[in-house]
Amino acid sequence: MAKWTAEEKSIDKATQEMIRKAERDGVETVWDRLEKQQPQCGYGQLGICCKNCMQGPCRIDPFGDGPKKGVCGADADTIVARTLERMIAAGAAAHSDHGRHVVLALHEALEHGAPYPIKDEKKLKAVAKKLGIGIENRDIKEIAKDLVNVAFNDFGKQDEELIKFADSYANEKRKATWEKAGVEPRNIDREVVEAMHRTHMGVDHDPASLILHGIRTSLGDGWGGSLIATEFQDILFGTPQINRGEANLGVIKEDYVNIVIHGHEPVLSEKIIEAAQDDELVELAKKYGAKGINTVGMCCTGLEVLMRHGTPIAGNYLQQEMAIVTGAVEAMVVDVQCIMPSLVDVAKCYHTKIIDTSHIATFPGALHIKFDERRADEIAKEIVKTAVENFPNRNKQLMQIPKYKSEAVGGFSVEAILDALGDSLKPLEDAIISGKIRGVVGIVGCNNAKVKHNYNHITLTNELIKNNILIIGTGCWATACAEYGIFLPEYAKNAGDSLREVCETLGIPPALNMGSCVDCSRMLVLADLIARDLNVDISDLPLAGSATEAMTEKAVSIGTYFVASGIFTHLGTVPPVLGSKKVVDILTKAAFDVVGGAFFIEPDPVKAAKVLADYIEDKRKALGI
Amino acid sequence: MKTVMVFPERCIGCKHCEIACAVEHSKSKDLFAMFSEDILSKPRIHVEEGEDLLTFPNRCRHCNPAPCIEVCPTGAIKRDDETGSVIVEYGKCIACGMCAIACPFGIISFGKTYEIVIDRDVNVKCDNCIERQKEGKEPACVEACKTGTLVFGDANDLIKLKRQSVTRNITSSPDAKEEPVIPENIVLWRELNKKYSHASKY
Repeated sequence: MAKWTAEEKSIDKATQEMIRKAERDGVETVWDRLEKQQPQCGYGQLGICCKNCMQGPCRIDPFGDGPKKGVCGADADTIVARTLERMIAAGAAAHSDHGRHVVLALHEALEHGAPYPIKDEKKLKAVAKKLGIGIENRDIKEIAKDLVNVAFNDFGKQDEELIKFADSYANEKRKATWEKAGVEPRNIDREVVEAMHRTHMGVDHDPASLILHGIRTSLGDGWGGSLIATEFQDILFGTPQINRGEANLGVIKEDYVNIVIHGHEPVLSEKIIEAAQDDELVELAKKYGAKGINTVGMCCTGLEVLMRHGTPIAGNYLQQEMAIVTGAVEAMVVDVQCIMPSLVDVAKCYHTKIIDTSHIATFPGALHIKFDERRADEIAKEIVKTAVENFPNRNKQLMQIPKYKSEAVGGFSVEAILDALGDSLKPLEDAIISGKIRGVVGIVGCNNAKVKHNYNHITLTNELIKNNILIIGTGCWATACAEYGIFLPEYAKNAGDSLREVCETLGIPPALNMGSCVDCSRMLVLADLIARDLNVDISDLPLAGSATEAMTEKAVSIGTYFVASGIFTHLGTVPPVLGSKKVVDILTKAAFDVVGGAFFIEPDPVKAAKVLADYIEDKRKALGI
Repeated sequence: MKTVMVFPERCIGCKHCEIACAVEHSKSKDLFAMFSEDILSKPRIHVEEGEDLLTFPNRCRHCNPAPCIEVCPTGAIKRDDETGSVIVEYGKCIACGMCAIACPFGIISFGKTYEIVIDRDVNVKCDNCIERQKEGKEPACVEACKTGTLVFGDANDLIKLKRQSVTRNITSSPDAKEEPVIPENIVLWRELNKKYSHASKY
């Protein structure tokens, strides 16, 4: 049988080099495991297996000869819709629990003196003002306390009203659409709980009603949990400003103690970065023969610190094992989400220590140094010290660091974009209205081992910028672009003539890094501001979304809240819904009538780009621009 | 002689082989595209429930001599010399059902296939994935089987595996600790299934 080559697994040269090294070192990687899983279960892929009660598992015969109903009587439509709803709930839960942790960190700082000073008072005031919290002549801490309470309330209130964050951030037209559809999230946690209730045996069986609640749950994420995560992180750690950084495995340094911070929540990683600059620890590193301590990011934690500090990022999801395969990583410090449990096994082949830090994420075989906000500095130092002390264990024979890395301009928070444009989005809006920029596509993260690593991200981005469509995005997409040089202003030469002109005038790249995957909320805020300025709904704008290498349940939630925000959204991988024509019809057609956006599925990024570009042209025509 | 050997004690009834078989014999050879094809490809291997909730993946044994070849009045069923597989020339099949009467395993099924455009059913039994075999691959059902129930290889080698296991069992002392052929939790699961099945019968 033909071998699956490194070139077929990833388009990235550094990753290809490490895939080959892993083979030589006898290390099993994500691609080996995917190969062993082939072919994967057809029932699972089609979404027609129900495990929600112990009369099951039940499967619907996709060929139509065997069972058409599960034991309870649920048919394929019900089962597929329930499965999808649970995926959305899990994705929304992940983002929102992350958001809660950040609010709790601020709460701990205010009430119990946890070492998290408010770094961005301007943002604190702006958020407070948006939420209707008084800011005039008030102490920063008092404003912060009120803000924490508003956020807590959105996680815990019991009335039927729309959550305060969504109510304050979304424009009236969008909110009216939600109200009409009955999908206004009332409480971030409640929608997740209700999703679990509805999908319990014998509760909600109507695919439309299940999907509507899925939409509601996802809105609690996008305009609730994720938004809160972004805003509170900006307040605590600073709102990103346009900056430069480096990306790819080449940021790992031969002569330094290398610490990779991997996962999603910056609450700990911010502290690790501080600790890695501690004089005593740097001295200790030198004592062991290193030149210093090199902290680099991975996945969305990496993007958080790249956005705020220009900390180099070693890679995205499919590169996490590859970083260890370099043989030059003393410690990989992980928190939550998208962290492969296989890291522990890969690390066994080298000297790398995997350190898990979150109370909710324990990795068998890893070193457990659990995080506590109140002792944040002390714990961060302990982690860094552990890494430094591991430096002498490095086996130089097993070390090979790819030289590939690229510079990248990033830090495009909504605030940074406004700053760059002179406190107004008008220059951007004018470019859209005049047609120099045909529209904007927001691309969101994930890698998926089923897709050639970064291929869809880069191909789709290239195709769209050729069509004079500006790209904004987050997550693993952003890291892919950073590695590929797309985030350099000079990359605008690959864009269509008019987009190139706009980029060159403003000195920006044709694709803008807006942060980690919870920062998809930044894209919603930007879309909302443009809609307000033009006095239309978000669904009227020449916008589209894409999750072109979608993998996680979080991506399902993001896709759904994009659609529910009125954005036509492309998926490059297939969620487990094709077992029900009815569910597919709701997601790809009927959703337009309910929320003004819908999904479409297309694995080929070139074809997808054409559909997105055509959609944007249709929207322009409808707007008369 | 290469064959697909079945180790039924390892079958957990997941029907993974069935889906893989249907995909392999569809026009697109793609799970998602398959269901929108004009002629829906269906499994040629059958995982059906027997006693005690146990299952057995039943597929064409590609007998030699094959009773179905012997009785086919139109010469539609023949042997592929290279792989030894019993295959059907769909255009010659008159759907008389003689093959199904003669088949000792009941694995003949009639249906439509994209490979021939005629508005009637023909014998669409297992073709041993001869196309895949010629590319050096295993039959699709074997590739799909994750429990080691379906194994492709030289018949005598596979039988030897079984024989070795019997020899080990007979010669091992009662207190010897050896790797179980079937994991403990699966043995327990089967015992419980047996109790369920008996409880519902009596």
